[in-house]
Amino acid sequence: MARYLLKRIFYMILTLFIVATVTFFLMKSMPGSPYANEAKMTLTQQHIMNEQYGLNKPVWEQYLIYIAGMLHGDFGTSFQYSNQPVASLIGARLGASVQLGLQALILGVVLGVIVGAIAAVKQGTWADSTATVISIIGKSVPNFVLAVLLQYYIGLKLGWFPLAGWGQFSQTIMPTIALSVGPFAETARFIRTSMVDNLSSDYIELGKAKGLSKTEVIRKHAMRNSMIPLVTLIGPYAVALMTGSMVIENIFNIPGIGEQFVKSILTNDYPTIMGITMVYCIGLIVILLITDIVYGLIDPRIRLDESEA
Amino acid sequence: MKFTKLFAAGATVLIAGSTLAACGGNSNNSSSSSSSSKKTINWMDSAEIPTMDISKATDVTSFNQLGNVEEGLYRLGKNSKVENALATSTKVSNDGKTWTFTLRPSKWSNGDKLTAKDFVYSWRRTVNPKTASQYAYLFEGIHNASKISAGKAPVNSLGIKAVGDDKLVVTLDKRIPYFKLLMGFPLFFPQNQKVVEANGSKYGTSSKTTAFNGPFVQKGWTGSNLSWKLEKNKNYWDKKNVKLNAINYSVQKTPSTAYNLYQSNKLDATILDAQQTKNLKHNAGYTLRDTAATFYIQYNQKRKIFKNENLRKAISMSINRKALANALGGSNTPADSLTSKGVVNHDGKDWSEVVGDKESASYNPTDAKKLYKKALKELGVKSVSFSILSDDTDSGQKTTETLQSQLEENLKGMKVSVSNVPFKTRLNRSTNGNFDMVISGWSADFADPISFVDLFTSKNVNNNGKWSNAQYDKLIADSKTTADTTKRWNDLEKAEKILLNEEGIAPLYYKTEAWLVRPDIKGIVYNGAGLNYNFKSAYVSGN
Repeated sequence: MARYLLKRIFYMILTLFIVATVTFFLMKSMPGSPYANEAKMTLTQQHIMNEQYGLNKPVWEQYLIYIAGMLHGDFGTSFQYSNQPVASLIGARLGASVQLGLQALILGVVLGVIVGAIAAVKQGTWADSTATVISIIGKSVPNFVLAVLLQYYIGLKLGWFPLAGWGQFSQTIMPTIALSVGPFAETARFIRTSMVDNLSSDYIELGKAKGLSKTEVIRKHAMRNSMIPLVTLIGPYAVALMTGSMVIENIFNIPGIGEQFVKSILTNDYPTIMGITMVYCIGLIVILLITDIVYGLIDPRIRLDESEA
Repeated sequence: MKFTKLFAAGATVLIAGSTLAACGGNSNNSSSSSSSSKKTINWMDSAEIPTMDISKATDVTSFNQLGNVEEGLYRLGKNSKVENALATSTKVSNDGKTWTFTLRPSKWSNGDKLTAKDFVYSWRRTVNPKTASQYAYLFEGIHNASKISAGKAPVNSLGIKAVGDDKLVVTLDKRIPYFKLLMGFPLFFPQNQKVVEANGSKYGTSSKTTAFNGPFVQKGWTGSNLSWKLEKNKNYWDKKNVKLNAINYSVQKTPSTAYNLYQSNKLDATILDAQQTKNLKHNAGYTLRDTAATFYIQYNQKRKIFKNENLRKAISMSINRKALANALGGSNTPADSLTSKGVVNHDGKDWSEVVGDKESASYNPTDAKKLYKKALKELGVKSVSFSILSDDTDSGQKTTETLQSQLEENLKGMKVSVSNVPFKTRLNRSTNGNFDMVISGWSADFADPISFVDLFTSKNVNNNGKWSNAQYDKLIADSKTTADTTKRWNDLEKAEKILLNEEGIAPLYYKTEAWLVRPDIKGIVYNGAGLNYNFKSAYVSGN
């Protein structure tokens, strides 16, 4: 296990390094400068600015400087937010996105598992059809449409939750619901399909023959086996949700990271682009690693060491 | 795996959710129920504050904050009227090159005494190339400013000097006719050396690391958060005339959210998008704000076809600007001048009315067709084809679509293609002359026509189409040197009329924003150019 982990970590670092390199050179090939007032500055002024920020140096030199800084934990300062270190900018913004993403993931997956399981057990009944219809609607209605509807009817007309803002738990409820619809629909459909398969397998018959009650058969055998493949689904979902949604953040006035990323690209805010890309990348590879480990722990058929041997 | 636990967790989330539903309704305690009986208003901005550092600010959000929490020699009133602020008297030498200001005694919000030295420190800091101020070019004309910015002269050789605590002497290299307007722009406000140096690179990156001397002080801005507060400044020299106790600010990026908040009394003003503008036009509080920005066409004069004036005129006269403004969403105003509407008020008249070209910027397909025929004959071709370059934003795309269909419909045989690219790419291609026709926009930094007409002198970098007219260049140069104000205004008028008449550019629309503002809020001073909102004398009526 330890050897496997070390190997994986080595590959993670290598991946990060390649991503950083590719992003850096792609980013430098975008036209324009990172100056907000670019349209009004003369070329001479832009040269003076470039000199101040070291942007007049050859790109490879800028790259080496950046990588050296990164190894020392220095991600540079933002151009959009004058003098704000990128690390603290991301720090201030990431929390909200992660919290919201986790809440939406838990809500969506838990509800999805419940609804999917009911649909499978009651296969062919009205409960099954209802669950299918709900999950298709959930899959096809974009989350921002739901967000706007929730805000108008639940927030403004009924006044149950604050319309927008960040700081209190009550303010997170509507955006959580809006964001959870995607994972909910996906999980429900997934669980239903795999449970229908499992319910007709031999070990379920065996369980029944042993004299276990129906609930026990479903809970201990059918459910458990259907849940295993879900782990692969949750990993990428977790990353997608926690890295923030620009539209949902904007609708509910949430200080998240989603919009920052888009804005940093549009404004050529080089250090911020790099910083957020790295954070996304680290998030993704760490979660993939965890998924693999968890997979091995819960599924006796998979053993990490052996597969690597 | 214990699924019972998972179910329990799910149930807890659900129960927690429904419990909080009951008490969630009015948990936003920072906003009061309605705007009556209060001295606090809830205002919005469309973007986060990038910086509170005077030397670094480049955008409207920062300038709006700085204009209300800082103060300079003058404060701009209605129609950008210059009013004394920290200056009590101003003396100008006969050649217009030496300005002597007498300052009133005043304090920073932390109690420090504000002196003429704070101005000297601030100006030197901005022009210092190490500060990398993106607006340093506005100092051009102040003695040695350009040389210092280019690193060719020491910072302390700048033409500003403190004589004692209350006298400030500024030396110019040349007359700057709009100098007083500049002094009302935050870039020229004083800075507290002690606070700047104590905070180092953190200065202006949060409310706590910024010094204030304006009608309000800022609280609760942490660097990139979405809400903060302006509170009345107890140390402000004119605090008795500041009527509001506080302004709660929040960043609103989705107009539907802002309007919902407005309807539930959590916001007192909201910007409207195109659809809302159509629906809410007749509501109380509907307010149009000129933004001092004009959008216009630049023709690339390096292309043979666009050297032809008749062709340029035919194009301009085939454009139905009203239909264009409608397509863009209703609140924009069709333009017939370069200087935007609502920027300059000269002798009681809006400058855009004075110089506006009613002929070539009006929709006249019949004459356009004649001019087009004439142009084709002069060029010796059967048809022309070209591409329109614009932004890939919603309004950029709507503009190119509308122009393409209007031109192809009115001028038979004309082939128009469009190219919508990101803003930075558009700028880059404009600067490099890599376009046929480009949709450009410009907004004024200060309320004077020169901030627009200076663009189209032959050597200006923003003259991307390279239109050139010797008489125009001379008029602009003269307007900058003459001591005679009447002559100056005449020169500016003549110049802009030449530009429009010769179709150097084709104005399209003035950008106008539509807002809903709670009708009982009075006394807000709004100016399109430079710093927009001045809340010093704002109040809620009935108090």
